[in-house]
Amino acid sequence: MRRTKRWVILLILVLVAVSFFYLLPSIKYWSLSDSEKQQLRIDDPQKLYGLEKRAIKLGLDLKGGMHVVLQVDKSRLNPEEQKDAVDRALEIIRNRVDQFGVTEPLIQKQGEDGIIVELPGLVDAERARDLIGKTAQLEYKLLPEPEIMNSLIKEIDEALAAAEPDSLAEVQKEEIQEPIEDLFATEEKDTMDDFLEELDEELPEEDRPFSSLLEASRSFYFYVPKEEMAKVDYLLNKPEARRVIPDDLEFAWATETELIQGMEYQKLYILKKRVEFSGKYLTDAKPRFDEFRKPYVHFTLTKRGGRRFAQLTGANIKKPLAIVLDGRVESTPTIQDKVRDEGRITMGGDATWEDAHDLSIVLRAGALPAPVKIAENRVIGPSLGQDSVRKGTLAAMIGLAAVLLFMFFYYRVSGLIADFALFFNLFFLLAAMAALHATLTMPGIAGIILIVGMSVDANVLIFERIREELRTGKTVRASIDAGYKRALLTIVDSHVTTLITALVLFQFGTGPIKGFAVSLSLGVVISLFTAVVITKSIFDMRKGYKTLSI
Amino acid sequence: MIHILPRTNINFIGRRRYAFLVSAVLLAFGILAFVFIFLGKANLGIDFAGGTMIEGSFEKSITVGDIRDALSKIGYGDAEIKELRRDVPNSFMIRVKASEEEVTKVGEGILAQLEQDYSDNKFHKDSIDEVGPVVGKILQNQARTAVILAFLGILIYIWIRFDFRFGVAATVCTFHDVLVILGIFFILQKEISLLIVTALLTLAGYSLTDTVVVFDRIRENLRLFRKKGDFTSIINTSINEVLSRTVITSITTLSVVVTLFLVGGEVLHDFALALIFGVLIGTYSSVFVASPIIVEWEMKSPKRFK
Repeated sequence: MRRTKRWVILLILVLVAVSFFYLLPSIKYWSLSDSEKQQLRIDDPQKLYGLEKRAIKLGLDLKGGMHVVLQVDKSRLNPEEQKDAVDRALEIIRNRVDQFGVTEPLIQKQGEDGIIVELPGLVDAERARDLIGKTAQLEYKLLPEPEIMNSLIKEIDEALAAAEPDSLAEVQKEEIQEPIEDLFATEEKDTMDDFLEELDEELPEEDRPFSSLLEASRSFYFYVPKEEMAKVDYLLNKPEARRVIPDDLEFAWATETELIQGMEYQKLYILKKRVEFSGKYLTDAKPRFDEFRKPYVHFTLTKRGGRRFAQLTGANIKKPLAIVLDGRVESTPTIQDKVRDEGRITMGGDATWEDAHDLSIVLRAGALPAPVKIAENRVIGPSLGQDSVRKGTLAAMIGLAAVLLFMFFYYRVSGLIADFALFFNLFFLLAAMAALHATLTMPGIAGIILIVGMSVDANVLIFERIREELRTGKTVRASIDAGYKRALLTIVDSHVTTLITALVLFQFGTGPIKGFAVSLSLGVVISLFTAVVITKSIFDMRKGYKTLSI
Repeated sequence: MIHILPRTNINFIGRRRYAFLVSAVLLAFGILAFVFIFLGKANLGIDFAGGTMIEGSFEKSITVGDIRDALSKIGYGDAEIKELRRDVPNSFMIRVKASEEEVTKVGEGILAQLEQDYSDNKFHKDSIDEVGPVVGKILQNQARTAVILAFLGILIYIWIRFDFRFGVAATVCTFHDVLVILGIFFILQKEISLLIVTALLTLAGYSLTDTVVVFDRIRENLRLFRKKGDFTSIINTSINEVLSRTVITSITTLSVVVTLFLVGGEVLHDFALALIFGVLIGTYSSVFVASPIIVEWEMKSPKRFK
């Protein structure tokens, strides 16, 4: 008996020491105020990083951040490409995120074709989403001659006008936008503009279901009011229209909307379908400012790419070249000279430096093998996370105080011993979480709170048993021993039942729920030690019991 | 010694018929809820159904009706809008169950509409949750697998630990508890979310613990008093003997889950509510459901303990 006791006490001391070792970084890190952290980030970033790494990690729901699940659309790939499409997409996204500069991102596969991206901390959610979700398929395409464009518009008008009247009626009912030609009065008018004016004179708008939706433009594109975009897409997708659009031509929207006198417009282009040049020849891309302080992306090319680019530009001097990114026209610079090895992507609309910066990242990291769709998007603001931490901590404190007081009130000194064990339980639990690099989530805090209420159950079982034994007239010593011995089987039982569900939740739960499963299962296992072994060894410390405060 | 309960000798078993009636009513709702969930008609949270949830605050005061007016312009007039009790005033939660393939569309539409209609009372979003139909299906499947596996685990444990009759009683009791809480949530029109499923599984474990404690004592007493005393009174005595433990553990657990419910914040509100009901039902069922089943069985075919 004496020997086991000493052995137990030694074990407890070792565990306490180890726990301190694992908890120290968390204590240090959490006791730093925000300004102190900021200071340390400048003075000794290595130390801060070390603390961050070894402290208990907070989940996205407590720290703030974003959680995105992407679905890779493999439908258009051949079986060979499908095999590693998700893995390649994951690598490319990892590359992009790394270059974006987020600390401790998590990027992993989910199921067949899903990719989870978690970016903790304060992030510009919209920007990050664009960066992750963009396919970044860069293509250069030429434009057809203006005459071809004009006749195509006419043909589409005729084809649609000849179609069933119901769709026409629907179009006519819509209020027709005031023309905005006059907005461009100062601009040099050219082909498209004249062409639309010509059409205006030729035919009433009712007979031009398609071109009546288009507004004048300065050069080789049309302006479409933003609210009419869906209708234009709808008309262009009608079989009548598709029949007259030649196989080698396509319509494409611009990336950015343009604000003209308070109205939003999107440019509509007609392009040659053939891809003249693509982003796969890029070796590097960097954001830069041009002479008008407008950002653009400067890129360099591989040898082979350079040759092809030189061929393309050399053969098409003074012609516009469409830079198409993921099916949308970024810009249409006019080729001034034969270009080799390097070039620039001028950006549409009122692009910012950040836009150019992000575009160069996605171009450098390469295009995704297949388009991705955002299947799940969760963004938690840091203030909400802090609110949760505060409320969770408060609930834990109040709950803990209630249980501690109750146990003391009901079981007196024995209750104090149980309280002591409960403290150890929480202490070991947090240390174990730090040691296992577990993540603390809001449900995880709930798990800890639940453990506070549930783990005293072992002591309740024991104490009630001891009381019963005492009532039968046994000595204090014998009652204590019998109480522990008899209650043990039931205690183990009750722990196993909780563990079963906790482990299942751990296996199948998503992030926050996993946190709940972790704190619950660790707490349950630890309480078996603290509530039984530690309390018993405290009872054993006193040798001659005459009475017992229970 | 302080006793919450003096040494009791309550005739629990004698009152089992009333308990069966209560349980039957509660179970009916639970089964109804289960059928509805199975048919996909229950009030599933956006985790499972897909949808968009936005939380944030307005700069100035605004009513739920004003927000609804803005949302109905873009076809989300049936959105769930709730004012949240936060430190930041004018905090609201907006939840729309419509989900599109491109999940970010709904949220962007709502934010743009609020921006347009209330440009002088800006909305600052704290969090946004957008779940697409594909992910909703995945999460549904995960939850289903978790529930099935948890119950399989519990069944295997019971099978190892008890003989046939006690095993069946413990199983029925655990299912009873989970279904009853499901039924209560169905009546209260609460949403079935991932967290609620988590709470239900946790409660399955908790309720089983309570049952196991009672059963352990029953078996111990059956061994002790095999020769004397009749079956029903042995079981009644056993329940009474462990009653104070049952009540005290319920009190400590209840005190923490009630705290969680009151101060734990919006995120854990329904989760804590499920736990509160669960602790109450779990305690009730270990006394009034599990043991009476054993008694009824023994009365119908007294072969084991005579």
